[in-house]
Amino acid sequence: MDRLLTSIRPRTAQALQGGATRGMRGVAIGLALLIAWALVPLVASRSIVDLLVFAALYTIAGLGVSFLLGQCGIVSIAQSVFYGIGAYSTAYLTTHWGWPALACMAVGIGISTTIAFAVGWPILRLSGYFLALATLALAIIGHVLFTEWDWLTGGTLGIGGIPALRIGEYQFNTPQRFYYLVWPIALLLLFAHRNLLHLRTGFAMRAMRDAPAAAAVLGIDVHRLKVQVFVLSAALGAIAGSLLAHYVTFISVDSFGIDRAINFLLLAVLGGARTIIGPVLGALFITIVPHALSGFGDIHAVLFAAFLIATVIFLPAGFGGSLHRLVESLKPSERVDDK
Amino acid sequence: MSALLEVSGVSHGFRGLQVLKAVNLTVKTGSITGLIGPNGAGKSTLFNIVSGFLTPDAGEVRYAGRSINGMPVEQRSALGLVRTFQTPQVFAHLTVHENLIAGGYKASRTGMLANLVGTPASRRELAALKREADRACERFGLSEVRHRLAGGLPAGQQRLLELARACFGKPRLLCLDEPSSGLNTEEVNQLMALLERLNAEGISLLLVSHDMNLVAIASVIHVLCFGEIICSGVLRELQSDPRVREAYLGV
Amino acid sequence: MSATLLLQSALAGLTNGFVYALVGLGIAVVFRGTRIINAMQGEFALVGGIAAYLVVERLAGSLWLASLAGVAAGGLLGVLTEVLLVRPTRKRGGTEESYLLLTLGIAFAISAAALYFFGRDARLLPGIGGESSQIMFDAAVRTHALWLMAIASIVMVVLWLFYHRTHIGLSMMAASIDEEGAATIGINVPLMRTLTFLLGGLVGGLAGVLVSPLITLHYEMGLLLTLKGFAAAILGGLLNPFGAVVGGITLGLIESIAVLSVASGYKDVIAMTVLIVIMIVMPQGMLGRGSRKGG
Repeated sequence: MDRLLTSIRPRTAQALQGGATRGMRGVAIGLALLIAWALVPLVASRSIVDLLVFAALYTIAGLGVSFLLGQCGIVSIAQSVFYGIGAYSTAYLTTHWGWPALACMAVGIGISTTIAFAVGWPILRLSGYFLALATLALAIIGHVLFTEWDWLTGGTLGIGGIPALRIGEYQFNTPQRFYYLVWPIALLLLFAHRNLLHLRTGFAMRAMRDAPAAAAVLGIDVHRLKVQVFVLSAALGAIAGSLLAHYVTFISVDSFGIDRAINFLLLAVLGGARTIIGPVLGALFITIVPHALSGFGDIHAVLFAAFLIATVIFLPAGFGGSLHRLVESLKPSERVDDK
Repeated sequence: MSALLEVSGVSHGFRGLQVLKAVNLTVKTGSITGLIGPNGAGKSTLFNIVSGFLTPDAGEVRYAGRSINGMPVEQRSALGLVRTFQTPQVFAHLTVHENLIAGGYKASRTGMLANLVGTPASRRELAALKREADRACERFGLSEVRHRLAGGLPAGQQRLLELARACFGKPRLLCLDEPSSGLNTEEVNQLMALLERLNAEGISLLLVSHDMNLVAIASVIHVLCFGEIICSGVLRELQSDPRVREAYLGV
Repeated sequence: MSATLLLQSALAGLTNGFVYALVGLGIAVVFRGTRIINAMQGEFALVGGIAAYLVVERLAGSLWLASLAGVAAGGLLGVLTEVLLVRPTRKRGGTEESYLLLTLGIAFAISAAALYFFGRDARLLPGIGGESSQIMFDAAVRTHALWLMAIASIVMVVLWLFYHRTHIGLSMMAASIDEEGAATIGINVPLMRTLTFLLGGLVGGLAGVLVSPLITLHYEMGLLLTLKGFAAAILGGLLNPFGAVVGGITLGLIESIAVLSVASGYKDVIAMTVLIVIMIVMPQGMLGRGSRKGG
């Protein structure tokens, strides 16, 4: 649990892990959360569990956007395209050609990463604004192509009858079962990214984010690194999309438009793009809040946008950043002070 | 001594203004070379050209016997050509220790996929980098502040950090852009001693500075004025050279 | 392909081009005044169009009144945005990212609000001269389209004069180029920024009023207009005053001619691809003159 919180502040990790009592407290919290997580499907209603499944899927896709934003300062609104590619690859290949799930996901990842590389390489040389708008343009292109190429995607009619994921005879065809499948996957990916941050590449990324000129002088090929992160982000989108297809068993083009891309960006910003736990918080927010506000109708889209604006202005570090600060302030003062 | 860096016939202009006019300059291997000149002489431009941040309109830059025209900054760095910046470009949100680890990028290998998985090789590599960073902290006197965020350090220590980080990858030619700016006299003296020590360890230095005291450590100094090298030599000679006087006083 | 068809397409492209030019002009205005790329410029058009529509439908107002309302609505939105949202962001240390996210957020908020209050239906505004068309060389073009091009051209000239001949216009330019310098000679820099957004809003509102009779008014049009306007602006060169015009017309023509050979559903894809390509290949635009370089 502490490991999720202490994304880029190893000092914090040290401080938290130093001292037996503190260590034990961390373990206790972690265990409590784990048990709480495991118990949810047993006590909550089906619709809540369904929401939480979506939260996990959005966490995965949102992690890509969040990482790109937090580590490279790149605003990407293109994640919906890769999400769609993953979903349609799975949908098409399972229903038309009967391919196994993993193979379809691999294809989805392959196509997404190839496109991300091909488009990313020239685009990522651009500066902030240009780049963001280029990704938005990409999202529009993707959405139109998903709609127009109905021989592949079924267009507005979509593709149905996607088989559920299964291991042997055991099918993951209920929200509860899928919940226990998808969250570990999400957490695994989160841990992988935490690894990344704390090893060589992560240092290079953080260097690039703080002072790109100095990073270049240390031998870091900034452009290549950005492309790598973009490709990684696309892979995450594709993974989330593939899982989505297996879960909802029917997909249509409405799920892969601009609003989806905005949702991913929103959850990245809200959750705090510089923390590893950010995407989880953001994803939980954007799935639970509309549910809570469902009495108000379509207004939640407006409220979301309002939240995005408020976060940008008042809470630039997002929920994750605030949580982080909260945890820091709760620790006894064995801390090096900053100016 | 052979030439580590050779600048030949480099010219460059901005919007009709000719900033550099066929500049020739050499840095001998193992030396400390200074570059001075009044404001607007073109020192920054020349510096940016040498370090790869600018492509000259004409001329050639040769490093370690090969032409590096058009070579990107990171490749020059891989060959040992490293620079610092006038305002220290430390990684503000990283600690001193982490800044140094970042400096070890060139010296390490593992890629993104390996890092995602967290392979044993990746972890060993990081552990090695951490040990190196500890050593660098001691060498440069940063051990006390190793866990402070670099952004919160005073200018003098940021300068030190930037130097330490640049030296992490064992550079061959270290180009320093106004390294004494923002430092008090005491700190400048410490810097001079440090630079001489680094030079003694085999690092060649190219020093751009306003500070006459600092450049005194250089074995040869070039004077740049209005885009041309007007003379070169030892500091004492230059100080009594009428052309130099005119360049500085006449501006 | 007959000459008439080609001409027809070209005229349609030209008309659209002027709209993109107006939106692009708004983006350029805001950029030159505040160095912010306004991702919500298209929403000024949407709001302007909606205001005009409401005046016509709910208040049975004349077209003139509706147009005025639309332009004013755009301007009002611009001022409110700057004062209520941009300023606090600036105060808290606005980075390029945060302004981008901010304007994007506002764009989506407005788009979502439009969806909520007006639904998914598209509305049509009556145009100048109603539904009538003129015949030019065997091709038909709506009277309104001709008016649109004329008005847009006038606006462009007026803007140029404003920036280069009036005290306020010059002050606004000065404030954006060098804030501190401008302040020392007595220019109220925050006011200039607000005025910039006001101007951007007015131009955007006008674009909305002019374009709504030709394309339908619907909640998603803002974003697309913004992107196409942005394409127009950088195609022509972001800092060049006539850039957006040249860029917009070029984009409109490319779009219309291309659609002759491809299915109409791909129309937006063409504009978006053009946008991406020019950003990569020609970031300084066709008339480029020292603009922001990408990278």
